[in-house]
Amino acid sequence: MSLVHEGAVGSVSVSAPTLELHEIQATVLRQRPAPYFGTHVLLSVDDARAGREALRRLTPYIDSAAGWRIAANAWLSVGISYTGLQALRVPAESLASFPEAFRFGMAARARQLRDEGVNDPKSWDPPFGTSQVHIGVSAFSDSEEKRRRALAIAREQYEGLSGVRVLSMQDFGAQPGDLNPLGYKDGIDQPAIEGSGVEPLPGQGPCIKAGEFILGYPGEAGVPLPMPHPDVLGRNGTYVGLRKYQSRVGAFNRFLHAHGATEDERELLAAKLVGRWRSGAPLTLAPDVDNPALGADPCRNNDFNYATDPHGRQAPLGCHIRRMNPRDTELTRLTDVNIHRLIRRGTTYGPPYDPNALSVEADEIPRGVYFLFISAKAMATMEFLQQEWINEGGFIGTGEERDPIIGRQEDGATFTIPKEPVRRRIHGIETFNVLRGGEYLFMPSLSALKWIGNLDETGSIEPKER
Amino acid sequence: MATQTASTKETLTVEQKIKKVRELYADAPEIGKAALEKGIHDLEREFAASSVVQNAGRIGARQGKVSEFTVFFPFGKGGAKRLRGLLELLEGNFLGADRVGTVHDMRFVFLDNDTKLLFATTFDGEWDAYIDDFATKIPNALDLLFCDAVGWPGLRSPKVKDYIAEHQVAAEAWYVGSPNLTVAETRRLERVGKAVEEFLDKVQ
Repeated sequence: MSLVHEGAVGSVSVSAPTLELHEIQATVLRQRPAPYFGTHVLLSVDDARAGREALRRLTPYIDSAAGWRIAANAWLSVGISYTGLQALRVPAESLASFPEAFRFGMAARARQLRDEGVNDPKSWDPPFGTSQVHIGVSAFSDSEEKRRRALAIAREQYEGLSGVRVLSMQDFGAQPGDLNPLGYKDGIDQPAIEGSGVEPLPGQGPCIKAGEFILGYPGEAGVPLPMPHPDVLGRNGTYVGLRKYQSRVGAFNRFLHAHGATEDERELLAAKLVGRWRSGAPLTLAPDVDNPALGADPCRNNDFNYATDPHGRQAPLGCHIRRMNPRDTELTRLTDVNIHRLIRRGTTYGPPYDPNALSVEADEIPRGVYFLFISAKAMATMEFLQQEWINEGGFIGTGEERDPIIGRQEDGATFTIPKEPVRRRIHGIETFNVLRGGEYLFMPSLSALKWIGNLDETGSIEPKER
Repeated sequence: MATQTASTKETLTVEQKIKKVRELYADAPEIGKAALEKGIHDLEREFAASSVVQNAGRIGARQGKVSEFTVFFPFGKGGAKRLRGLLELLEGNFLGADRVGTVHDMRFVFLDNDTKLLFATTFDGEWDAYIDDFATKIPNALDLLFCDAVGWPGLRSPKVKDYIAEHQVAAEAWYVGSPNLTVAETRRLERVGKAVEEFLDKVQ
């Protein structure tokens, strides 16, 4: 059920959906609105009975993707960690059917995720990585008023239940111009999903098989991915990698000032790091000067490939967007770019980007992004991305260089900007986004939420629904 | 069959290691005992160096950017004959491996009267990072090679990673000459080296 019913977004052409949209949580297929307002709540379940009651009460308010076109509404989503499934007393046989990386949890997979050094789980903010995060509830909306109403509805369902504890609440969004903490428009390039009923935007590429993103459907290899048992638990569910980043705005601005003498030079450098100007306009279509109208136009701002720029003289080979979606770039390793994509829901928190913040203190002002990375194999994909595309450069021919925006930089790291006649190599790039927490959550279908909510102490379904 | 070598190794001093190696070789053949005494100074230097071996994903060793991968597959009936025939026809041309771009080498060794295949390779990164890519990009090349492994589920099967891991055996020890050179980096350096020589030819 939708929480608020006014204000539909029109002008979207729709192809026939073949997915069970009424079962899939809205966040999977719904873009956040613009502007957006929301809150992430993390809960701990001390008593299985109370935890299941909270889930039972929340479930009627969790939106399905069937109403994805009404993106201007407020909606709630819910995800459950492996320790959460344990706390809710999901049967052992079901628990064992989840993928190993999910069962271990994000903190325990730090080596595979290259979450080392400053990103090590040892220095994460509480409650991340403590096994205490059991349930994540997120409210999304297009206004502050609707955010408050949606959150109030969520809180009514779990507050007052002894045995369910609120670990943290984090508001997000409400950013002027919807810019991220480093001052860019982001969230532009999302994978197009076959059968979702969402017409791909120009440049979004051919639709990717739904099974890559939602459990129970064939993936790119033609077969469905392994799914938790029983079917009702797994089908139409997906996984979310939640990552909390702290943006070191001072370090980022100091870098731009150290390597750009004028405002124009700094903005060009900022664009070279990402592959897009702050407006969202891609360098491939606007190589020399920003084009804000292009950046704002969803039908044009992603409509390009790299055929005319094989050496990265417009969008550097190692820039952020070329790493995260190499499109037709010739890679050094046999790669199917369609199977390493994630649905991203970036949610910015803290004060907005300040271009004049240059101090070391500005690095520690709490602001950054809670990322929700969604995929039917989110764990494997995130490990691949962290190992191959973010904290390495070999795949795209840039040696040991790392992603300039979300990579963890070693001392003396470089960033190369291909140019004629000689490339420009900038020394001393720092880590601009530091990881401060993360969890893997299972985002169950609406039927699966009901199934979990109605389990009894023995792990069987209770005879009567409330 | 997968036997992960213990990763909880105690840290020994050089003196302790020397003591231990003397114990190990106390009842060794005479050649071994003599070699130990003559070679003890070289061993001391090796014992003093810090460990260069890490884990490569689930099973196997890794040095720098390079990992080792060894599996034993039991052959089904007629499997050894078929694979030997295919390998002879290929005459060492593995274009799929060329395209993969992370494979340094591959060896196929038939063991125990053609009942088992030893497949060993050296590759870049974590062993399972690109398995999904093989499944959508070059499934046939790999299924042709491994279809005669008993129980081979097919490269497109979600079970293939578990199947491989079950048959993998970690090397007890492994040496890499250039631990920081990936295949991609090696190819790049070959191009750069050639370009530098051409440039020097022009300016001389």
